[in-house]
Amino acid sequence: MKVGIVGVGCSKFGQRDVTIQELAFEAVSEALKDANLSQEDVELSVVGCVGTRGYELMPAVVVNEYCGFAGKGPLRVEAACATGSAAIYSAYSSIKAGIVDIAIAIGVEKMTEVDTATSAAIGGRAGNYLWEHHFYGTTFPAYYAMHATAHMARFGTTEKQMAMVAVKAHRNAMKNSKAHFQKEIVVEDVLNSRIIAYPLKLYDCSPISDGASAAILASEKMITEHGWDPIWIESIGFSSDTSNMTMREDFVGLKATKLAAEMAYKRAKIEDPLKSFDFATVHDCFTIAEIMAYEDLGFCRKGEGGKFIENGESDFGGKIPVNTFGGLKGKGHPLAATGIAMVYEVTKQLREEAGKLQVDLKHYKALTHNVGGTGHFCWVFIFGR
Amino acid sequence: MIIESRELRLKHRIPVVKTEKFWKGLEGGRVYKTICKCGRSYYPPRADCICGNQTEWVEITGKGVVECFTVVYSMPSGYEWSKPYRIVVARFGDVRVMGWSEEDVFVGDEVSLYTAKDGSGIWKIWFRKG
Ligand SMILES: [Zn+2]
Repeated sequence: MKVGIVGVGCSKFGQRDVTIQELAFEAVSEALKDANLSQEDVELSVVGCVGTRGYELMPAVVVNEYCGFAGKGPLRVEAACATGSAAIYSAYSSIKAGIVDIAIAIGVEKMTEVDTATSAAIGGRAGNYLWEHHFYGTTFPAYYAMHATAHMARFGTTEKQMAMVAVKAHRNAMKNSKAHFQKEIVVEDVLNSRIIAYPLKLYDCSPISDGASAAILASEKMITEHGWDPIWIESIGFSSDTSNMTMREDFVGLKATKLAAEMAYKRAKIEDPLKSFDFATVHDCFTIAEIMAYEDLGFCRKGEGGKFIENGESDFGGKIPVNTFGGLKGKGHPLAATGIAMVYEVTKQLREEAGKLQVDLKHYKALTHNVGGTGHFCWVFIFGR
Repeated sequence: MIIESRELRLKHRIPVVKTEKFWKGLEGGRVYKTICKCGRSYYPPRADCICGNQTEWVEITGKGVVECFTVVYSMPSGYEWSKPYRIVVARFGDVRVMGWSEEDVFVGDEVSLYTAKDGSGIWKIWFRKG
């Protein structure tokens, strides 16, 4: 029994002065309309939310009620920045197991209800509080910054190459009405922005955004009955890594990405990702993260990620366009919303509804790569139409 | 219109009973890892090996090599008292240790570790060159 995506929705990302439930409803109502369904048709709701930064600490029931799903779950999931993918997986699994035929995965995050220092202290706990943040004040940018210094030292990757990831993200985000950032930047803007955690500067970091996204999944049987033209979930790969960064073997990549990609590729019989996918969405919470993702997903060899962006291989017309929607860097990264927002963007592309950001499709196949924390969780999904 | 929530203050009580040797060690200038007869080494130290045995405490000594670092300028709450700080991860044999450094150490540098209180009065690990 195959499982497909039959409806998607996504709120505008950015500082959004609405409550978490109102924000979630923006995405849910768009997804229901997209699938031509009403709440009664949905049998299970999964609510992904990292939480803590919003005033509702246990938001699943609040979101569920407001969206009209009281009685249909909710199943709350949390996998740091990969929460959205974990929500999709939960909905997928329930359908695959034959428990339900139609499920909705909702990802929602209010990031702007606390101040930046508090947000940094919460994000810095996305690892191991006791042994790392407690003593050393690790922050989310700091964790990726440490990977950046290791990558620069080993492979000669430059701050300028990292800046190019941000420039590409902003250029694409400008054409995406849902994106947080709507302004073009140049390499110098990135290099001259203030340091957050050396070598990462303000423009190397995804912004602090509110946002929500939703995807409705259905069984093959239901898809046939409704006559939907779905995006099929062809393969799922997942992995994780140690909570303590000091327990990792190296800092020039994310092992969880490599393992999740291997699993997803093997299940979908993908031998060469460059020859199999029309485009990819990868987890670019920081510019160095996108560079490492090129390598860990097999788009280039380890250490060549800097050259990959520099040579335009991840841009429109390159070997594999990456984050054509603006990425987390340009569109925004409301933690739990991110993974499902990737699915939203992939669905629009594969349906050839991406407007000015449309990629030429040959294989009608794409992947999403969603990382939680610093490789603490990783999900790789392969979609096809 | 924006309203404010009622304040919620979170400060947790953390039991470090099973790793007390480590916490006491910091105050005496010693940093410990744990090892198990099954061959596993742990840093951060833990009393329980995943194999089911109890581990033994071993001091980390000698030189380490820096594998990565950063300097945090955008500080999280709880660190308001600090100037920008350098976080370093260095490898000491079969374990990797995180610490702060007041010296400008870079990837590949040889370092040794020591313990001292930070500006908030917490004992922790620091690195110096050589
Ligand atoms: Zn053992």
